[in-house]
Amino acid sequence: MNLLDRYLQAIKKHLPWQRQDDILAELRANLESQLEDREYELGRALTTEEVQAWLKSMGSPMQVAARYQPQQYLIGPTLFPIYGFVMRMALAWIASLYTVINALQIALGTPTTHAIVEAVLRAPVVLVSAAAWITLIFAAVEFAMAHYPAQVQSIIAPYLDWNPAALPPIEPDTAPGKKRRSLAHALAEVVFGFIGLIWLLLIPHNPWVVLGPGALYLESLPYELTPVWFLFYWSIVALNLIQLIWRSIDLARGSWQRPHPLQGIVWKTMGIVPPILLLTAAGHTFVVLKQGVLPPSAQTLATLDTINLSIYRGMMVVCAITVLQLLWDIAQFALRAYRK
Amino acid sequence: MTISENLFENLRLELRRGCLALAVLAQLRQEHYGYTLRKALAEHGLVIDESTLYPLLRRLETQGLLTSEWREEDKRNKRFYRLSSDGEEIFRQLLQEWHEINTSINSIL
Repeated sequence: MNLLDRYLQAIKKHLPWQRQDDILAELRANLESQLEDREYELGRALTTEEVQAWLKSMGSPMQVAARYQPQQYLIGPTLFPIYGFVMRMALAWIASLYTVINALQIALGTPTTHAIVEAVLRAPVVLVSAAAWITLIFAAVEFAMAHYPAQVQSIIAPYLDWNPAALPPIEPDTAPGKKRRSLAHALAEVVFGFIGLIWLLLIPHNPWVVLGPGALYLESLPYELTPVWFLFYWSIVALNLIQLIWRSIDLARGSWQRPHPLQGIVWKTMGIVPPILLLTAAGHTFVVLKQGVLPPSAQTLATLDTINLSIYRGMMVVCAITVLQLLWDIAQFALRAYRK
Repeated sequence: MTISENLFENLRLELRRGCLALAVLAQLRQEHYGYTLRKALAEHGLVIDESTLYPLLRRLETQGLLTSEWREEDKRNKRFYRLSSDGEEIFRQLLQEWHEINTSINSIL
């Protein structure tokens, strides 16, 4: 009996205080009746071991008490899908913004390994804090829904409403055998796109980011680039910026799995612009002798001609390949449109 | 416990959950207190853990399907439950639903 009393006392500690005496009195009556029945069947009192085994079979005091509590959710099944979506989107955006802000701070300040490592190590703390706040907000909404269902329902009903006619059309990339773009993929495109853009912007004043120690060698050469390269450079920057904005919009709208069907064609078309701009250079001159290099030797002039010719031919090949790819994409797009 | 055993156990519990409430409502057309109800159900082959049955009685009472009263029996205060008038109506509907499901399952089998 002492064990049963101890068991009931342990259960009491986990029961809701408003009903604990009532529940405990009922439980005691039931368990004592059960105990009496068993002792009557056996014709003797139960041993301590038998009582222990019996109580153990009923479950731990905390488990038994928990069954008297109403079923509770931190975030219930109604809210959970929305919670999951908001969490994914928020974490994706926070990770992107965090990367952008820190990359900017590092690029504009003094880029050191310490600053980069610090930013990387701080990232999990930022993401976990954001996840905790989102969870806390949804838990508060769940609490409100459980305690004030009518009021909360009237507030959130318009947001839960949906229209079947507004569902997106069948996505072409969901065809069997084709892999869908994941959120991680879309997020990586934005993050690395931004890092790439920063890298591009660093090139004019820090050529070592492209050439490494070769930048010093280039400096010592008697040649320099013509202004057409600046046009070429800024057209590439603009192209990257447009791609980054487009991808960010896709990410923000949650449409990263279904990018616009014309997206690839638009990007390839824009991709032709920088080499074409370069080809417009007067006299196909891309590199000239530095001012003050006098007198140029015959070998220097010959090398200069070779460099200009090589760049011209190279750009022609690049243009030809890009145009062919573009035509192929346009043909495929047209074929798909025709089949539809 | 293997994954398939665990899966079976989860599905079994899910299947039993609704049936237990129906069985309890059916049995409580006659008055019982917790322990005798458990014994009565066990006699019909439906064994229910104490830690499942007693909280279930509380929940059904809170939902208005059962009524209860404390009464002394065998020199001990016990809480006796029986079906309320709302409970009788719900029980009738649930029983009809159960018969339909049973008929459908038998028909499929």
